[in-house]
Amino acid sequence: MRALTSRAIFLPLVGSAVLVAFSIAALPFSRGLFRVAQTPYDASDAAFTRPAWIVLSRADPLVPRGAAVLIRTETPDPTNDMYLHRFGIALLPGRRIVPAALWGVPTPPDIVRDAEYEIVVGQTPSLRPGRLLLQISEGSVWRRER
Amino acid sequence: MRAGYLWLLSFLVFPIVGAPLLKSRAFRVFGLPTRAVLSAGVGAVLLSWTMTLFALLRLSWGPLLVLVAAAVAFALSLMLRGDDGKVPSSRPRGERLGEGRASTATLLAYGLTTLSVLVAFLATLAGRSSPDLLLFWGPKAQQFAAARTIDLDFLRAPFREYLHIYYPPLVTNLFAFPAMIAGRFPWGAATLTFPLLLGATAIGLTGTLRTDSGTAPAAATAALTTSAMALLGIHALVAGNADSFLLFFEIVGLSILVTRTAESTAGELLAGLFLGGAAASKVEGLPFVLAAAGIFLLLAPSRRRPIARTLLLLIGPAALSLGTWFAFGAVRKLFYGYQSYGHFFWIHWEYIPRVLAGFGRAFWKAGYALPFVVPLVVFLATRGKSRRALLPVGIALALTGFLGFTYLHGEVDPRLWISWSAARVFSPLPALFGLAAWCSSRTESKEFP
Repeated sequence: MRALTSRAIFLPLVGSAVLVAFSIAALPFSRGLFRVAQTPYDASDAAFTRPAWIVLSRADPLVPRGAAVLIRTETPDPTNDMYLHRFGIALLPGRRIVPAALWGVPTPPDIVRDAEYEIVVGQTPSLRPGRLLLQISEGSVWRRER
Repeated sequence: MRAGYLWLLSFLVFPIVGAPLLKSRAFRVFGLPTRAVLSAGVGAVLLSWTMTLFALLRLSWGPLLVLVAAAVAFALSLMLRGDDGKVPSSRPRGERLGEGRASTATLLAYGLTTLSVLVAFLATLAGRSSPDLLLFWGPKAQQFAAARTIDLDFLRAPFREYLHIYYPPLVTNLFAFPAMIAGRFPWGAATLTFPLLLGATAIGLTGTLRTDSGTAPAAATAALTTSAMALLGIHALVAGNADSFLLFFEIVGLSILVTRTAESTAGELLAGLFLGGAAASKVEGLPFVLAAAGIFLLLAPSRRRPIARTLLLLIGPAALSLGTWFAFGAVRKLFYGYQSYGHFFWIHWEYIPRVLAGFGRAFWKAGYALPFVVPLVVFLATRGKSRRALLPVGIALALTGFLGFTYLHGEVDPRLWISWSAARVFSPLPALFGLAAWCSSRTESKEFP
């Protein structure tokens, strides 16, 4: 117990206890602490990352390697669409990801037209992009028909 | 799931690679868990450097990497043969150093450290991960593992500017290596590097500091540092990005420099290898390394060994590591150094109020600024300010100056940039304050074996 009376030991321990208490308070208890998250972004600040992750992961076996894929939100949002292009490069390796927007600006139609598949994050588009391959609450996967 | 376990298990290669150096008698002053962590750090640095070298030489990545990296570790151990028995310590040498009955304070410190790592683990499992993993660290590692090298076609493809191709290679290399073994890149497992490295940092920090103080002050300092890093990491979303690697190398490397271990060649080499890891982890690792080496030399002017030799040991690994990386970039016409966010000397002084306000908001958002304030208060309240405390305090000031300068010389309003980066880039500060407090209390702590 003598060591605890030393300021050199007591102060860091008290500081650590305060920080640990705040760390515990930062845990997302409402989501169920020992439930493994469906995605690494379940408790993320960016609201659309989680649905995007789920749709892109589910699209992985449906989209063949080498295929050109357009990934976008419904309704289109150039900022989110820019990030979806980057997510697609991460989660759909080996495919050619066609950007629906870059740096907040929608991509010209002649580039978008090349895509063979279209992945839509969010609600189902009113104008069907092609043949439906997958529809889940987070989004849909389409094979474009030419 | 299986790939994730395999990916994480592949990290065991790192201590194996570093073992030829750390099994040297010079390092027996450290306990076994500490030597395992130090081996892992050294192994990771050498393996990453070998991977970059192979990419530069157009050699495909494979099992040969491990052999070459381990051979380098062995060659370094030969350098220390003459230095055997010269790693000084305030405590008796031996494997079971400080073992026996632990004090209440030590047990309390171990408990708080364990709890911090556990909380970080639970937060990561719950899905508090870094977007940067998905944006560039992960995709690059995944592609490099598939290509068995640093894939130029991937980096040069259109619309890939956001991948930050000039970022130093250690994290992508260390993510890619186990992905080659696991057969794919497991995103969830990658996020667990946050609690894993937090635990490794705690073990390394305790083990190095206890060579120069009682176990209780060392463990208490590690508890303070670990809990600050955990709280900051949970709020600033670092799981899966390079910040955990950077802090591991910076903090453990610096902990060697503030102890008497640094009075030996072996200690300087070990600290240099860890600083090399910091420089190869993130861009801001380089100013940390330069500040650490410079202030270390300034604080010890009466050293018997030549300054050039110390500089070589402390800066050499970082220079070699980044030199190989920049040579790769230049030879392949990819990049020619680090990119600046604006003209170097165009400092926007008018941004100062915005930058300071941005810092305030960013720190407050990261756990009400507690990860910064609590260690600072502990340092200021610790009795007796030793000369050695100037090392972490000086680095903290240098880093703050560098980051403040960086935010001020951008061409656009830096508030948005600060909001998503400041808490992370300033994350070494809590550990630096913790180490400064330990340095200040060293005289006092010797009374408590």
